[in-house]
Amino acid sequence: MVCETTVYPSSAAPSASDLHPVSSDRRVIMQARNLRKSFGGNQVLKSVDFDLHEGEVVLLRGDNGSGKTTLLNILTGNLEPEGGGVRLDADGSAEDFEFPRAWWRDLNPFDHFTPERVANEAAGRTWQDIRLFSTQTLVDNIAVATPRQAGESPLRAIFQRRRVRLAEDKNRAESVKLLSGLGLGQRADSSADKISLGQTKRVAIARAVRAGARVLFLDEPLAGLDAKGIEEVMALLTDLARNDKVTLVIIEHVFNIPRVLDLAHTVWTLRDGCVTNEAPEKVRDEMRETAGDGVMHLLRSIAGAPTEQEVQLPGGAVLTRLQRGDVDNPKVVLEIKDLVVLRGNRLVIGEEASDGSVNGLNLTLYAGDLAVLQAPNGWGKTTLLEALCGLIPIERGEIHFQGRSIQNLPSWERIKLGFSVLQARNHHFDNLTVAETFALAGTTIPVEFAPFACRKLSSLSGGESQRVVIAAYQFSMVALYDEPFSTLDAEGTQLWAMIWNGLFLSGRQPVVLLLLPYVNLRPDC
Amino acid sequence: MNYLLHLLIYINIYAILALSLNLVVGYCGLLTMAHAAYFAVGGYTYALATQVLGWGFIPAAGLAMAVSAFLSLAISLPAWRFRGDFFVLISLAVQTFIFSLLYNWSDTSAPLGSWRNLTNGPFGIAGIAKPDILGFKVSSIAAYCVLATVSTAACCLLFWLLKQSPWGRLLKCMRDDELAVRGLGKNTRLAKTQAFAVACMFAALAGALYAGYVGYLDPSSGSLDESILMLCMVLVGGVGNFRGPLVGAVVLLLIPEALRFVHMPDTIAANMRLMIYGLLIVGMTHFRPQGLAGEYRFK
Repeated sequence: MVCETTVYPSSAAPSASDLHPVSSDRRVIMQARNLRKSFGGNQVLKSVDFDLHEGEVVLLRGDNGSGKTTLLNILTGNLEPEGGGVRLDADGSAEDFEFPRAWWRDLNPFDHFTPERVANEAAGRTWQDIRLFSTQTLVDNIAVATPRQAGESPLRAIFQRRRVRLAEDKNRAESVKLLSGLGLGQRADSSADKISLGQTKRVAIARAVRAGARVLFLDEPLAGLDAKGIEEVMALLTDLARNDKVTLVIIEHVFNIPRVLDLAHTVWTLRDGCVTNEAPEKVRDEMRETAGDGVMHLLRSIAGAPTEQEVQLPGGAVLTRLQRGDVDNPKVVLEIKDLVVLRGNRLVIGEEASDGSVNGLNLTLYAGDLAVLQAPNGWGKTTLLEALCGLIPIERGEIHFQGRSIQNLPSWERIKLGFSVLQARNHHFDNLTVAETFALAGTTIPVEFAPFACRKLSSLSGGESQRVVIAAYQFSMVALYDEPFSTLDAEGTQLWAMIWNGLFLSGRQPVVLLLLPYVNLRPDC
Repeated sequence: MNYLLHLLIYINIYAILALSLNLVVGYCGLLTMAHAAYFAVGGYTYALATQVLGWGFIPAAGLAMAVSAFLSLAISLPAWRFRGDFFVLISLAVQTFIFSLLYNWSDTSAPLGSWRNLTNGPFGIAGIAKPDILGFKVSSIAAYCVLATVSTAACCLLFWLLKQSPWGRLLKCMRDDELAVRGLGKNTRLAKTQAFAVACMFAALAGALYAGYVGYLDPSSGSLDESILMLCMVLVGGVGNFRGPLVGAVVLLLIPEALRFVHMPDTIAANMRLMIYGLLIVGMTHFRPQGLAGEYRFK
């Protein structure tokens, strides 16, 4: 298959207005030619070609299963392609990797295509699941990344102690300075698992830069972040692109693409296994026409001219109730009164008043409600979900379901009554096939999933497995979803809407509560 | 008094073993079951060097450490690729392989230390000379206690320096997330090889001290039971920090000793010792997975 690749002349190179334009006369620091990769007979990448210029900011987008993460894994040495070539020249010394490699080259342990080799060529990455070193402090997370440390040899650590100590003191001081630049100087000695999601993402980016990355591949750096977190990460990325001239390749989810477009010079769209270059302006126009400006816009459109009610909750959370116009006199289905939930000794749901007493959470949902709870990271969305379906105990309060008090019922009894829950993660079994997943859920496999029926969920991309879970997920009266759209494209979100609409049209009036990070992407904002 | 000194010598030897094992188990996150094999390799090399070659303590112990460090490749090379359950199985294979070598490399018609009779098989090596350090014969139990304590103190200092160094940090990060470390351009294979070499070297030093003290060595010192005992010390004491293995070594050696004072017959006491180890592991896993003084838990 031959892919159509648009190459922009230097004068027409797509560029963000406030950034330096990136023209083709800039040094090419990474080139891919005819990259191919398939999984189990399914050819994900057919022929990927691109030139990446120094200082360029690229948005890499594509539908679920289009191979974005596969391409990123190949470009960072985590996966070997079946064919093609990669030329890497980020640090001034060009390195060529041709595939498939001759068998005798694999005999040389120093000549493998590995993440460490690519990283040493100044190409770094961040991960969707962040992967900070959780038992280490923030300053150690940064300091470990420094290349060529004298103390990384046990012999030197013992016999050249003075030299190692001086180098380590300098390394730590620079790492603390880097953290201070991120506003985390005070927390340098905090454990990496004690900081917010937005902060971990920024530390992960800083760590990759500290390792010497001149090309940085970022896998969904804005995923799961609230508005404040998004602003902070975008500020860091802008600083890296403008001041440090780091080349960025950013994979981002459809709802966060408008944010990245503000920074990107070029958009690579991965479709049918090939990469097409596009201008950010064109993509922005296209997105305006299709998906709108965000998840709330999409939900409004699928709820169909709803009545909308916004309720402010403690801690900066907002509950938006989209009530369908065709429901007369909706009954109360779920009522939460004075709910207080603790994690250990920490108050998570509920708010401490000035007199020291704790005010619980109150919430009422009616039949046919499509309710969206947008809350900042760390607000306790997942805790609320787990408390509602009985996975963790509550400290105080009442939960009424169709007039019946259920807070003392075990989780399985709540499920039998019509409660159902879809967690953000760990919601599927990797070793089951798609067909088995549907069978376990007690539903027939839809036609569009038939081609995947025999594939294990572990072999699907993040978005594809999310789609299977959404389609297999059964709910009757109350459905609780924790960040269901985090890896879904617009088509996947439509699939979810179709299921919801189908249930509604079948005569049931379910309550759906979606828990989302607070991003406030309403078109009017 | 001699009993206390004897106990202190054993505590010192096992403290070195637990500290060195903690380097791979606690810092690298690689659960190895082959540590006793390297302990025995050290003991046998020391015994042969002193008996057959007539070397003194320092060169013989140095040779034991070098041989053990070289043989550590048998376990560190598989660790390049394997983690978790598969690595445990591979370490079991290495343990069994070395134990079988020690047990079977014998021919009573050939002299000890010859190519045909390297280990003397199940009969073991008897009459291992007391250490001779720069002309000073360490023959009394008090002097041996001093030697063992000084060796342990030196090991403590060395492991503490390694723990505090960027190399120690690299190992801990590798334990947390190896792929992320590789993505930062670090050679994790080299780091694992180094960690095993250091750990096995000091297991060999403990082996040399043991052989020199007891004066007799047979393959049972490198059995799987010994490996499990060493692993228990690290797990009960707590993995991933400095004091955990030391606490574990003291606790696991003192508990069975306490049985002597309840006048339990030897036949029952031996089984009771194993039961106590088992109960300790089950209890610790349930109530305190990070160990008595640890900071990291196996998931």
